Amino acid sequence: MTASVPTLIEFFVLAVASVASGLGVILFKNAVHSALSLILTLLFLALFYLQLGAMFIAVVQILIYAGAIMVLFLFVVTMLASEDTGDVDVPDRRPWQRGIAIVLGFVLIGALSYLLISGASIDGAARTAGTNGLAENVASRGNAQTFGLALFHGFAFPFEVTSLLIIVALLGAMVLGRRSRAGGEHE
Amino acid sequence: MYNGIPVSWYLVVSAILFTLGVIGVLVRRNPLTIFMSIELMLNAVNLSLITFSTYLNSVDGQMFVFLVLTVAAAEVVVGLAIIVSIFRTRRNINVDEMNILRG
Repeated sequence: MTASVPTLIEFFVLAVASVASGLGVILFKNAVHSALSLILTLLFLALFYLQLGAMFIAVVQILIYAGAIMVLFLFVVTMLASEDTGDVDVPDRRPWQRGIAIVLGFVLIGALSYLLISGASIDGAARTAGTNGLAENVASRGNAQTFGLALFHGFAFPFEVTSLLIIVALLGAMVLGRRSRAGGEHE
Repeated sequence: MYNGIPVSWYLVVSAILFTLGVIGVLVRRNPLTIFMSIELMLNAVNLSLITFSTYLNSVDGQMFVFLVLTVAAAEVVVGLAIIVSIFRTRRNINVDEMNILRG
């Protein structure tokens, strides 16, 4: 089954857009612009997930990643931005590091692309005989219901462990965010 | 929902986004931007997981992405708390200046 032309156009537009906003994340000097560019990347990735049929994860990505995590990022970025702590004012200690990083980045892209294009071939048998029969379940019940059934039947233990993880993260943030009583704030 | 696009195309997009994240971690000196590049890497891997979930007809990939999202949220909370507490004492978050532990 080959892809229809609208699907191909969707894919290329989303691919170019997400790579362009990913470039924006690492290239913008202002950290607020980087954060906004990352939000854009997350939205384009959510559209990728929609094209791949993971509707629940697409909405969860927009709600949680772009809607909560990035808002937290923006709070901290704007709080620290007033002190002018970006990359523009301090000269590079090791100026050759950027060149080597970019060259090695290209090597990594080339190697990964070669391996993925020459190696990744999922044949029809694997596609139709998956462990949970995703396409059949989604066609009969819908993506969110399939996801919910798998989460609470097969993945109930990891689900409970994530609640423990969130409590630990909350406690860590509270401990780290507390101002010390001894008053040792200034140097 | 297999839509006809070869699986390697999605994986190459994921690889490009991952490499952009790696370059961002190596090149930038503002720790918030480094953190954002780490989130970019996590999202590139999420794209790979969803791709394999679709192409292997299994919901396990989407489950994994859900858990990765949760762990990323917890990591962002703690990481930003660390950065803020460093900023409170040192008034400067350029990573090149954080060299107290250097021998």
